[in-house]
Amino acid sequence: MAFRRPAAIIFAAGLVVIAAGSAGLLLTRHSTPAMRPVAAGVGALPAPTGPIVAPPQSAAPRPVAAPVSLTIPLIGVSTKLITLGLASDGSLQVPPITNTAVAGWYTGSPRPGAIGSAIIVGHIDTVNGPAVFYRLDELRKGDQVYVRRADGTLVKFLVTTVQKYLKDQFPTQTVYGPTPDAELRLITCGGTFDPATGHYVSNIVVYATEAR
Amino acid sequence: MRFPRITHTIRRVTMLLAAAALLLGGPAAAAHASSATTGTGWIRLAHLSPNTPAVDVYLYSFGNSNAQIVLHHVAYGTVSPYEAVNAGDYSVAMRAAGASASSQPVLSTSVTIDADHAYTVAGMGPEKGLRLQVMDDDLTTPPGKALVRVIQASLKQQTVKVTCNGTTIVPKAAFASVSSYQAIPAGTWTMAAIGSGGTATQSVTLAAGTVHTLVVLDGSNGLEMISLEDAAGAGKPPLGGAATGFGGTAPHGPGSPLPWAALIGAGSLLALTGGLRLRRRGLRRQLHAEV
Repeated sequence: MAFRRPAAIIFAAGLVVIAAGSAGLLLTRHSTPAMRPVAAGVGALPAPTGPIVAPPQSAAPRPVAAPVSLTIPLIGVSTKLITLGLASDGSLQVPPITNTAVAGWYTGSPRPGAIGSAIIVGHIDTVNGPAVFYRLDELRKGDQVYVRRADGTLVKFLVTTVQKYLKDQFPTQTVYGPTPDAELRLITCGGTFDPATGHYVSNIVVYATEAR
Repeated sequence: MRFPRITHTIRRVTMLLAAAALLLGGPAAAAHASSATTGTGWIRLAHLSPNTPAVDVYLYSFGNSNAQIVLHHVAYGTVSPYEAVNAGDYSVAMRAAGASASSQPVLSTSVTIDADHAYTVAGMGPEKGLRLQVMDDDLTTPPGKALVRVIQASLKQQTVKVTCNGTTIVPKAAFASVSSYQAIPAGTWTMAAIGSGGTATQSVTLAAGTVHTLVVLDGSNGLEMISLEDAAGAGKPPLGGAATGFGGTAPHGPGSPLPWAALIGAGSLLALTGGLRLRRRGLRRQLHAEV
């Protein structure tokens, strides 16, 4: 009997490996859905307080101070704003991967509350979880967005529309072009994630105008 | 920019016909009228007629007798801020300041507001030839530059020349005219309006990606110039969208089945080897037993 044991063990081990392989194959045949919703506790924030200053858009518009923080009560966003420029390829610079909990203001665009379209950008996620603008696409017309400026004043915006664009069909003129009133563009990613490129194929753009 | 006085007359007739069709209960006409109102545009109103007293300016959405916007006591030289309105057909009416809203307007014109377009509707010319002019304001700028145009609203200086740091940008602006847009590099420049009997100068900062209107006026003391920033955007627009995600919350497709298949294959080999050995031993024992 002792002679038969190694052969029996090899046979049994083979069966175990087959079972493991089959189980693995069966268990990974379905897609994992996107992470949603966010953990409990992240919800509506109170609106920030402070003087809301809307300079009249008249002959001599008063300059407004630079933006320092952003609050979107409905989706629990409260972040300081870093400054962003352009990347070497001419695209919009984005907050660094080491700091995806903040959003940034593109310094080449008008300041929030001044005439024109101010650009604010934030990540939707990191490599393993949500980032600052994870819930941006939940915003709807009429939702409130606040920007606090370096002089302590607040400017309040109301969402007018939320759009999703394929990145290869991004309407740069509509998003970055001149507007005759004080507007805000909040930009993040959305749509399908392409693991081959490591990028989402779409952008979400929230359009908002100053409440007056 | 357009000067659509004739087209406006045509449009007004068309609108009257459309109104008649609506009154007759034409559902097709009603559907058409509502389909025109998608998106928003902007409109601002101005009084640029030097010898016309202050007026009240009304903006009506077409077919609505209640004014959507009323500006009271608008005096010469006033340009209102832009107001965002739904795209569609509107009419602008001017009445003497303080006149009843139901009184016959001194002047009126119709204007079609397209989505994402901006318009200035200004009372222009001398009081006796007062007219409402509709300007389609530009909202696109050449990269790195600003756009500037001139509205000449000085009656005392019938023709003015406008210069930027000494370089002529509008050689002959006649009274009650609107120049085309001039592309000017970003910077702070001295703008001058030069008439035969006086000059007005102003330092104007032009950021890239902005649109400006210079309005030349009769001041209490000679020529005057006001500089309006009409619109602003990113001076250096980024190329394309933004790379704002790393995929950590994205849906994932099923992984490759190959590693699992390889594991099953390896297991099968093992089982086969073990099984064969077992069988061989069994045969050998049978042989021994027979001998």
